[in-house]
Amino acid sequence: MSRTRRTDLVAGAVLAVLAFAGLFPYLFMLAASVKDNEQFFAGYWSPAWPFHLDNYAVAWEQVSPYLFTSFVVAGLAIAGTLVLAPAAAFVFARFRFPGRGALFGLIAALLMVPSITSLVPLFVLMRDLGILDSRLVLIVPHVTANTVFGIVIMRTYMAQIPEEIFEAARVDGAGGTRLFLAFMLPLSRPVIGTVALMTVLGVWNDYFWPLLTVQTDAYRTIPAGLAFFANQNAQQWGPLFAGYVLASLPLVVLFTFLSKWFLAGIQGGIVSGR
Amino acid sequence: MTSTKARRRPPWGVYLVLLPTFALLAAFAYYPALNGMVHSLFEWRPGFESPFVGFENYLTMLGDDLWWASFRNIGIIFVWAVTLMWVFPLLAAELVMSLSSERLRFVFRTLLILPLAFPAVVNVLLWQFMYDPRDGVINSLLRAMGLEGLAGNWIGDPDTALVALMTIGFPWVASLPFLVFLSALQNVPAEIYQAAEVDGAGRLRRFWSIDLPMMFRDVKLLFVLAVISVLQYGMQAHIMTGGGPDNATQVPVLRMLDAAFVDTSWGYAATLGTVLFVLTLAVSLVALTLGRKADA
Repeated sequence: MSRTRRTDLVAGAVLAVLAFAGLFPYLFMLAASVKDNEQFFAGYWSPAWPFHLDNYAVAWEQVSPYLFTSFVVAGLAIAGTLVLAPAAAFVFARFRFPGRGALFGLIAALLMVPSITSLVPLFVLMRDLGILDSRLVLIVPHVTANTVFGIVIMRTYMAQIPEEIFEAARVDGAGGTRLFLAFMLPLSRPVIGTVALMTVLGVWNDYFWPLLTVQTDAYRTIPAGLAFFANQNAQQWGPLFAGYVLASLPLVVLFTFLSKWFLAGIQGGIVSGR
Repeated sequence: MTSTKARRRPPWGVYLVLLPTFALLAAFAYYPALNGMVHSLFEWRPGFESPFVGFENYLTMLGDDLWWASFRNIGIIFVWAVTLMWVFPLLAAELVMSLSSERLRFVFRTLLILPLAFPAVVNVLLWQFMYDPRDGVINSLLRAMGLEGLAGNWIGDPDTALVALMTIGFPWVASLPFLVFLSALQNVPAEIYQAAEVDGAGRLRRFWSIDLPMMFRDVKLLFVLAVISVLQYGMQAHIMTGGGPDNATQVPVLRMLDAAFVDTSWGYAATLGTVLFVLTLAVSLVALTLGRKADA
């Protein structure tokens, strides 16, 4: 056996163990999501036949409102972010004006304010505005956070696009608005995609804010909703795991089709930290 | 670039474009952040009269044993996070790069990071089940191996609760450190490895003399991110233990939220939030200055 071959075998074996250990809880979840309680206890370690897909029907009833709210919150947060961030980033990247550095610094400084440390005053503000327990109260912080993040990374991206592309259009008499809408926006699609994906990840991972600001069950997004769902279905193993699968599906689909952007989104913090 | 930037007339439109963004940020980012700092000096009762109390909240904090216990806990979590939680990703990254076939590398990389595709809350809830005293995976496994005596109430026992929280996601390969280590290794120029081989350097030697120095910059960054994220640690503890049992898993974020939403001491909660913010900021700024020096 050659040396490369032996290295491959050893490395492959260790990696297989690591990958299996990491995936085990998810494999267990998939197997258990189609068992009834009897099968769960009888064949704890193995998949069981027949599949009880009705677990999914039971779980869907409870989890679908959370999914719906999460989609609405993510969709509107993306819309809000895309109204504000690209235009502001364009201005910072392509125009020279008094106060440019200071204003951009003000925005970038917000990257250093963790959302959790101003959660309490933000909660009081939302209470004073009378919008607690609504979908709006969930959307606003995502728009704020992603506008800040979006401006910072879009500015870098837009500043790198060569000026020559815009020269010709400007000769034809195109103004700033037209340059932005007809050239800059389409050219910025990749970075817009990253920001949109970051927003979705944010909604699927933000736990404390929805937990504390909404009481109406249907207004809960996935993180707070699923924690509540877990308490409601203790010991109902089949429906419980089916609910976890349903809550995971949107991110798994995004990961499957957009894994490059998805990973860029996870590494977003590190990229903007440089 | 010059022609856009050197416009003749003052670009008033520019400010008009920025206005809505700054209006939103003023209302929902700057104002709450500053308001929290200001009200850390008040006995804050939203909707009622809130008397100014100077640094009383800060003095309360100095004598708040739970608050200090929570820092001891995140200290432990931090040490764990930058040792054990880096060793496995580092090992995995090295092994992936040792594979000779590009295809195998891709397959293992994908399998290893696949758990990242799942929401963090699902990961925590699944581990909550793993620890379940009666039906959980860990105790079932111990019973199946005839080690009934070792089975425990992992998250219900003050002695094991913190370790149980830190073990969530074992072996932690589906993580940012893994992605960072892997891309750092991929960026090592092949010539360096070839030169090392010519010099007769073995695998371990290569790791210490080439891989580690090449990753140093990224490790520094991960270290800072670990400090920042441990200061904000909370979701796992809230779901699994709620800071208990007997405050064994109390962390600063939960202490702050309890002050606000259980004790309704909003001013005190604002104080704790301000302290957490200042700590995060200090760490970020130190990291930034150090980073500048290193680059120069």
